Amino acid sequence: MARNPIKDQVAIVGVGSTGFTRHGGRTPASLATEAATAAILDAGLTARDIDGVVSTGEPGAPPPQQLAAMLGLTDVTHYPRSTSVVMFALIDAMNAVFSGSADTVLVYNPVLRLPWNSRSASQDPFRRHFSTGGAGGIPESMSMAVAYTAWASRYLYEYGGTREDFGLVTVNARSNGTRNPLATLRGPITMDDYLRARMIREPFCMLDMDIPTDGADAFVVTTTERARDLARPPVLIHAATTGTAACLAEDQLADLAHHGQHVVAKSLQAKSDLWLSDVDVFLPYDGFTIITLGWVENLGWCGPGEAGGFLRQHWDEATNRVLINGCIPMNPHGGALAEGATRGSGYVREAVQQLRGDAADRQVAGATTALVTSGGFFFNSQGLVLRAG
Amino acid sequence: MPTETEEVSDAEVLARYPTTTIDQDNKEFYKGWLGRRLLLNRCAACGHWHHPPAPLCPQCWSRDVVPTEVSGRGTVHLLIRLHQGPPAPGVDYTKGPYPVVSVELAEQSGLRFTSTVVNCPPEELRIGLPVALTWIDRAGAPFPVFEPAHDKTAQE
Repeated sequence: MARNPIKDQVAIVGVGSTGFTRHGGRTPASLATEAATAAILDAGLTARDIDGVVSTGEPGAPPPQQLAAMLGLTDVTHYPRSTSVVMFALIDAMNAVFSGSADTVLVYNPVLRLPWNSRSASQDPFRRHFSTGGAGGIPESMSMAVAYTAWASRYLYEYGGTREDFGLVTVNARSNGTRNPLATLRGPITMDDYLRARMIREPFCMLDMDIPTDGADAFVVTTTERARDLARPPVLIHAATTGTAACLAEDQLADLAHHGQHVVAKSLQAKSDLWLSDVDVFLPYDGFTIITLGWVENLGWCGPGEAGGFLRQHWDEATNRVLINGCIPMNPHGGALAEGATRGSGYVREAVQQLRGDAADRQVAGATTALVTSGGFFFNSQGLVLRAG
Repeated sequence: MPTETEEVSDAEVLARYPTTTIDQDNKEFYKGWLGRRLLLNRCAACGHWHHPPAPLCPQCWSRDVVPTEVSGRGTVHLLIRLHQGPPAPGVDYTKGPYPVVSVELAEQSGLRFTSTVVNCPPEELRIGLPVALTWIDRAGAPFPVFEPAHDKTAQE
């Protein structure tokens, strides 16, 4: 058991979300402030209670001091520069609460369709300042998003899988998305739909990649002790970690058995009293389908190369989705492939709602433990075990 | 003994690759391109290769890393086919998917270089294919690519 003095000492006490859409024209500040105020009110708190503000580094996201000013927060003691994706922000907030840098921290994550990844966004003149972004560079590159396609090709080569293995992840997500009112895409698809979808970066098609979307999630984090006096049932942060393995660039990754997910799996398991046999809800990242297969294997649900078979073995034909052991859903909110590219915040929000019993017709009866594993292989792998307080 | 790249000035390499991020840690790599030589960093202390160029050896922390020419021989390790992608001179996605490969170089396990493959029918391009380095011209400057290895360049 690894040292983990923060275990269960900090809780998520409020969540807020705008929901996610490919339509409309709102700024990251508009989205972030809506989610933030909703999260603070959800916790039964007011502006006076928030003394820490932490943001993810999404394009256009207002920095913490600016968002604090928009919300009229007058006594903020912890507001670091924007961090990477959601778990980096959440871990920063958790550490700030535990150390006493702040007592109650707001975490927010606005995401936006950008002109280079969304046709509709490219036609919005108010987004012209986001012009090129990730579309730069030369074709002969395996960096950033392309890297997942590259290692997906290697995965198929090494394990002899088929594209249907990837397709199972998307079909599961889209089936689950039908029950999530916050989701960008609410229609289900079949495997035939997946196989017919337009190829983008072979072996990945349109439906292997997350959906650019607009929206924001926000969370309020405080001490577990204080959480007991607040409006909603607390959700305790039992263990949290991020992980990266030595990798100068994505094409230099040692292999599919040594990357960030392995660092996270080892670290998280060592910090946590709860593991796979305790999990009621499983929320693995699916920004690219290969990432989900990786999490399924690298967390130990099955062996390397076996994720496709595992998903088939635990497939619920009635609902056309994964139910591990007949009861544990995988991304019941639809993940990034259906809810949209929340870059991780949607998984955390769904975990909180499930553990509070707030997940409506997605609710896993009696859920007390959630495993959230966000991020991919290279620089942003993240893991979180949450439990009902 | 002076190498070919020492004849290329900083100003010239910056001018010939105007859209590439070039700094003091990778300028020899790109100067090598102008002489049609692929120079990857090798540690003079422990012999470990690394790429992309870093200011020290990740294996032993020696800062004596020397841009060193590689054979250019290797095998395709990662392979994708872009049905759409960033524009580049000579790249036309309407003519068919554009291949991008990461080649595991013969010099060291895990040492890879990413580019495209030329002179190869699409149906013959696969992970595991032996390839050799060659050069094309892009926007008036040399650009390293691979082609299927023929007998004379095949791996030992």
